[in-house]
Amino acid sequence: MNDLIIESTDRTPAIRFIHQTLRLEIEGESYPEDVAAFYGQVIPTIEQWQRSDVTSLEVSINLIYINSSSMKALYRIFDVLDHGRASGKQVRVQWSYVEDDDVMQELGEDFRDRFPELAVDVKVTD
Amino acid sequence: MKIDTAIAMRSQMQTDGVIMAYNGEISDELMITLAEILKRRVGDGADPKRSRTVFAVFMEGVQNLIWHSVGSVRPAGMVIISEVESEVTVMCANRIPRTSAASLKQTLEQLALADKDTIRQLYREGMSRTVEYEGPGAGLGLLEIARRSKQPISFAFVDVSEEEVDYFIAARI
Repeated sequence: MNDLIIESTDRTPAIRFIHQTLRLEIEGESYPEDVAAFYGQVIPTIEQWQRSDVTSLEVSINLIYINSSSMKALYRIFDVLDHGRASGKQVRVQWSYVEDDDVMQELGEDFRDRFPELAVDVKVTD
Repeated sequence: MKIDTAIAMRSQMQTDGVIMAYNGEISDELMITLAEILKRRVGDGADPKRSRTVFAVFMEGVQNLIWHSVGSVRPAGMVIISEVESEVTVMCANRIPRTSAASLKQTLEQLALADKDTIRQLYREGMSRTVEYEGPGAGLGLLEIARRSKQPISFAFVDVSEEEVDYFIAARI
């Protein structure tokens, strides 16, 4: 499998899926003009991981702002990660938010509560 | 427009602390341009949290407008941002079909009465309903606005014709 590396723009996050280190990183702002086109390049890679015999993944999410149409794509990513976990993979998710940003903090908690078995760790960005 | 009307409008806008007012066709590109200006204009640096909140509410309001407006070839509507005694109001208006007004009104009435915990709960439920990642945010946009608004959201519907209604929504931050 090839690594996925998408550089950030003003309105789309940097996304890196590195197979050697088994890490998925999502960082930045997310309000793409075409949500389906942007996340359409990401979700298949994660689905591929879910079907593969790779046994783990470290996920790091650090978003400044995410619009409601991107939320659906992010939810889909969590859904695929959770399926991976359910099929026996070890998945760890770290959700970081900028200090004082209650909305992003609550969103991390919402994901943690919605996917309890993913053990989402919600914490302030270092 | 007569110049006297413009004088009255300007005076009214000054009284109401209008920072930005736009009425007409709105594209994704214009939304981004206005959002960037707004980001710099409101609290950036001094109060980044408020700046982010105003930005988010503006984005959700205008995206809703772009997705749902009817009546012309391209999306059109009105956006007014005002600030009085450090309270920012983000107001959006656009034309919608009468057929979708009733259910929208019901949702807004529910949101205007709901406390923050209820809104958060509705948001969580909305998240799980959105497994497909194409198309608009399935109502999450309104919840996002309600969630970030300091005061309950306010709204109004104005009859235009048998088929169409003008819809206004305002959030205070």
